[in-house]
Amino acid sequence: MKPAAFDYVAPTSLDAALTALADGGYDAKPIAGGQSLVPLMAFRLAVFGQLVDLGRIEELQGVARDGDELVIGAATRQAAIAKDALVAEHAPVLAQATGWIGHQQIRNRGTIGGSICHADPAAEYPATAVALDATIDVASTRGRRSIPAAELFEAAYTTTLEPDEVAVAVRIPVRRPGEGTAIFEVARRPGDFALAGCVVRVATSGGAVIDARVLAFGVGGAPIRLAAAEAALAAGAGVGSQELTAALQADADGLTPPEDAQATSAYRHSIVVHVANTAIAEAIADSQ
Amino acid sequence: MSAQTGGAARFVGASVKRREDPRLLTGGGQFVDDVQLPGMLHAAFVRSPLASARIASIDTQAALAVPGVVAIFTGADDFPRLPPWWPSEANVPAQHPLAIEDVRFVGDPVAIVIAESRYIAEDACELVDVAYEARTPIVDYRAAGEEGAPVVHAELGTNLVAEMASPPDPALEAAFAGSDHVFKETIKSHRYAAVPMETRGFVASWNKAGGELTVHMAGQAPHVARAYFALSLGLPEHAVRVIQRDVGGGFGQKAFQARDDMAVLHAAMRIDRPLKWIEDRQENLTAATHSRHEQITIEVGVNNDGLLQAIRLDHVLDAGAYPAMPAEADPGLVAAWFPGPYKVPHFGFRNVQYYTNTTARGPYRGPWLIETTVRETMLDIVARGIGMDPAEVRRRNSIQAADQPYQLHSGIVFDRVSPAETLEQAVEMAHYAQFREEQAAARAEGRLLGIGIASYIEPTAFGGGRSMGIEAATIRIEPSGKVTCLMGLGSYGHSVETTMAQVVADELGVAFEDVTIVQGDTASAPVGGGNLGSRSAVIGGAVAGMSARKARAKILDLAGHLMEAAPDDLELVDGVVSVKGSPASSMALTEITQVAYNGADRLPEGMEPGIEETTRWSAPFVTHSNATHVCMCEVDRNTGLVKLLDYVVSEDCGVMINPMVVEGQISGGVVQGIGGALLEHIPYDADGNPLAVNFKDYLLPVADLIPEIRIGHIVTPSDTPGGHKGAGEGGTIGGVAATVNAVADALAPLGVTITEQPLSPSRLLALIEQASA
Ligand SMILES: Cc1cc2nc3c(=O)[nH]c(=O)nc-3n(C[C@H](O)[C@H](O)[C@H](O)COP(=O)(O)OP(=O)(O)OC[C@H]3O[C@@H](n4cnc5c(N)ncnc54)[C@H](O)[C@@H]3O)c2cc1C
Repeated sequence: MKPAAFDYVAPTSLDAALTALADGGYDAKPIAGGQSLVPLMAFRLAVFGQLVDLGRIEELQGVARDGDELVIGAATRQAAIAKDALVAEHAPVLAQATGWIGHQQIRNRGTIGGSICHADPAAEYPATAVALDATIDVASTRGRRSIPAAELFEAAYTTTLEPDEVAVAVRIPVRRPGEGTAIFEVARRPGDFALAGCVVRVATSGGAVIDARVLAFGVGGAPIRLAAAEAALAAGAGVGSQELTAALQADADGLTPPEDAQATSAYRHSIVVHVANTAIAEAIADSQ
Repeated sequence: MSAQTGGAARFVGASVKRREDPRLLTGGGQFVDDVQLPGMLHAAFVRSPLASARIASIDTQAALAVPGVVAIFTGADDFPRLPPWWPSEANVPAQHPLAIEDVRFVGDPVAIVIAESRYIAEDACELVDVAYEARTPIVDYRAAGEEGAPVVHAELGTNLVAEMASPPDPALEAAFAGSDHVFKETIKSHRYAAVPMETRGFVASWNKAGGELTVHMAGQAPHVARAYFALSLGLPEHAVRVIQRDVGGGFGQKAFQARDDMAVLHAAMRIDRPLKWIEDRQENLTAATHSRHEQITIEVGVNNDGLLQAIRLDHVLDAGAYPAMPAEADPGLVAAWFPGPYKVPHFGFRNVQYYTNTTARGPYRGPWLIETTVRETMLDIVARGIGMDPAEVRRRNSIQAADQPYQLHSGIVFDRVSPAETLEQAVEMAHYAQFREEQAAARAEGRLLGIGIASYIEPTAFGGGRSMGIEAATIRIEPSGKVTCLMGLGSYGHSVETTMAQVVADELGVAFEDVTIVQGDTASAPVGGGNLGSRSAVIGGAVAGMSARKARAKILDLAGHLMEAAPDDLELVDGVVSVKGSPASSMALTEITQVAYNGADRLPEGMEPGIEETTRWSAPFVTHSNATHVCMCEVDRNTGLVKLLDYVVSEDCGVMINPMVVEGQISGGVVQGIGGALLEHIPYDADGNPLAVNFKDYLLPVADLIPEIRIGHIVTPSDTPGGHKGAGEGGTIGGVAATVNAVADALAPLGVTITEQPLSPSRLLALIEQASA
């Protein structure tokens, strides 16, 4: 369980990092917290000749407010997000999501950019980013662009980033009045990746839901919108109503969840409705 | 105990803090991977990716060309075959350190690469080109005896390892025929592993000129390992030194030497430099041993009054490709001890064991514990079947004090055990009646609460005149007056440096701080059986105490001579010898040792200088401890997840040397039982690939899942010198069954019967859904 030999650079400027990645081509790889990449390399499931450490680049660190958005540097540690005052105020569900990620030791190292770019199908941040309509700013020596989170995640462990691109920041619209959010998941042990999870954001007016985002994770390749449930909620279906239950069941039946040593596919399919219901109820309560 | 031998008992019975802890908790431990020798090389294995295949060719050229690679050995290098570990009458194949023509499980060692670093060795492993011709493996042990099943070891012509059965018994048949009810179930135990925190590891250095092999290792029994190494390597025993300083757990997995272990030592003897091999976690989960993969079909005859009439077992075991234990061990223990704490008038069994193309079966804390799992889960099924409370069924069948000595069908005798007493204490500590009320209220709300009981009587500290049953201790009162006790144990973290010092301090009459336990090195310790089979306290404690008493007698003889008093009138307390009743007339131990070592002219006629005493003792056949566990849980209807609410153990391990250590052993054991019941599992796919070979897929229990484990004690001293009974394995033995029973009880209102583990949320939710469909 030792990785193959690799070169390592830790530039202090984004430009230097981008150049190193451009020069390295497919053999180069950014490393942030290393909590996903290092195990892959130790198992030799991934081999890269050149690691470019993003940890010393000032520009990628920290949380700031920019107008109607929170801007979170891609290399900001998960542990820092969990206790950040701006996040608590303007995107509280991101802090809640952080609590479900692994263990404290992992959150001390792991970063938001790493989590999003790694795109583990059971990870909390990708689904949360989509539920919050976040945008990911990316850069390469070829220039900069912004990708809506909903367009970033293609499949399990696959994003629309090019190999020479680095995520620079995650932009999250600040919470609006009347909005409610929640995240809930089921795992076999505290800290394990979710067997099924759900992030919900509802917009309400006069106490009634007028719009909803319901994102399931752990049950497919990328974060999955439960569209029938979203529609039912927007049409006024309440928690526990037949309409919402039927919609969730229809969404669940459209999934083909993975099967592994931790749980069967049938199990993941079975619990989605319960997990989503729990998160929806909490999000609505949060909006009041 | 100490009252009879002088010196008030001060340490035995006290929860003295572990003296190992400051060292271990501050990073001062000396584990095998901490050993760095000049010029040391590193080994890594090329292992089979296939469950069954013929090796057509191995090309090592590219791997040998990697800078830093020193040597590569394969089956062609003729490392001699392993001698049998124990005599056995089973069908046993030749075991070679490295696969010769065939690979027989995923993880089978095919080549060992020696390089300047582990990194380079792993680089080279990837370049060793092995051409395999794949064959159809036999993966399911239940099908391994069928006509036409692929045969794991062609030389044997069969997958049958061994078969045993009790003789036909018309009285047994009659007892079943006469029972009011007969219940029958097949209860399956799944494959999981010991998973010591420290994996296997060696640093071996061969001194060619001196003809000496030094082996630092993560093991359990240094002298037993030394004897086996000498035999395997063709060296005289004294030419092998085994050093085992700190070890991060063994649980049985390190109690014997496997093929890859021996490949490391053979390789070390063919190169001129020290060689280190540290097994990585993936190897440990793939190629060290697996355990507990077996099933028992049980029939129970019982009357309306709950009294058991007859039990019959049909036990089938998966041995894997190269089982570590002799075939007779586990099934023999199951058959001989099965009725456990209950009076069962008629009993019969059959067991059969098969080779499969999977990782070897090996011992794991309570290797025979399926007897408790099956007996106790079946008792609950019986209780539900006849409509009687599970506690009451146990109460009615329990062996009572008045029944003892109680002889089992197998000839085993239970004496000085207290199953009826631990049952009552555990039930009371669990507030059993109150829980039943809460359960009824919760059920009315649709919640699934459950309570499960498991009792067992556990054979510990096997004696019977063989190496495991014999132990020695040498007590040396140093010239400084401090005490060194040399022992053949091999601590793997279970506190013997503390507990043995407690015994010695009391028996001698010196301070605990003045006693040092030296163990784990064949160069200094007397030959001993090591640490396995819950033997350390019973056998180790006994010999340490005996040698201490001998040393004390000599001290008092010499003091009597010097003080002109009768030795019988003297006592040794806190390192000072004084005349009983007149403390003014006294001598410090250091004054006496000065004479013993430096004043031969002042010794009494005929007394040897120095104070050093050795005792070697052969323990009685077996010592029985017993316990009752009660587990309480809630099962979430929506997710199938189990939340443990409370856990109680009432145990009887006789005289406790250190209650904190006993409770630590029990708690750790219970957690491993819970882990087995709920989480830990190494499934195989149909092609023979293990599916949980890292800690992402192999789920160990974590602290968040475990409630406080509350422990009560009943103390029935054994008839061994210290009155101790083994406490190492029981926690695990009861832990599986109590957890399974709690979950089964929670689901009982749904009409669900649980006969298979682990109780994963997938399994439980499927049961819940079926029941409500
Ligand atoms: C025991 C354990 C449990 C865990 N449990 C969870 C869990 O429950 N939920 C969960 O979500 N995660 C979990 N994780 C994963 C953890 O959250 C990781 O930290 C995260 O997935 C990756 O972040 P990182 O900063 O460590 O990235 P790295 O491991 O350094 O990198 C991961 C990938 O992202 C790429 N990358 C990193 N940063 C950037 C960037 N700025 N731009 C472009 N590409 C980039 C890397 O090249 C690599 O491909 C767990 C990890 C462990 C070890």
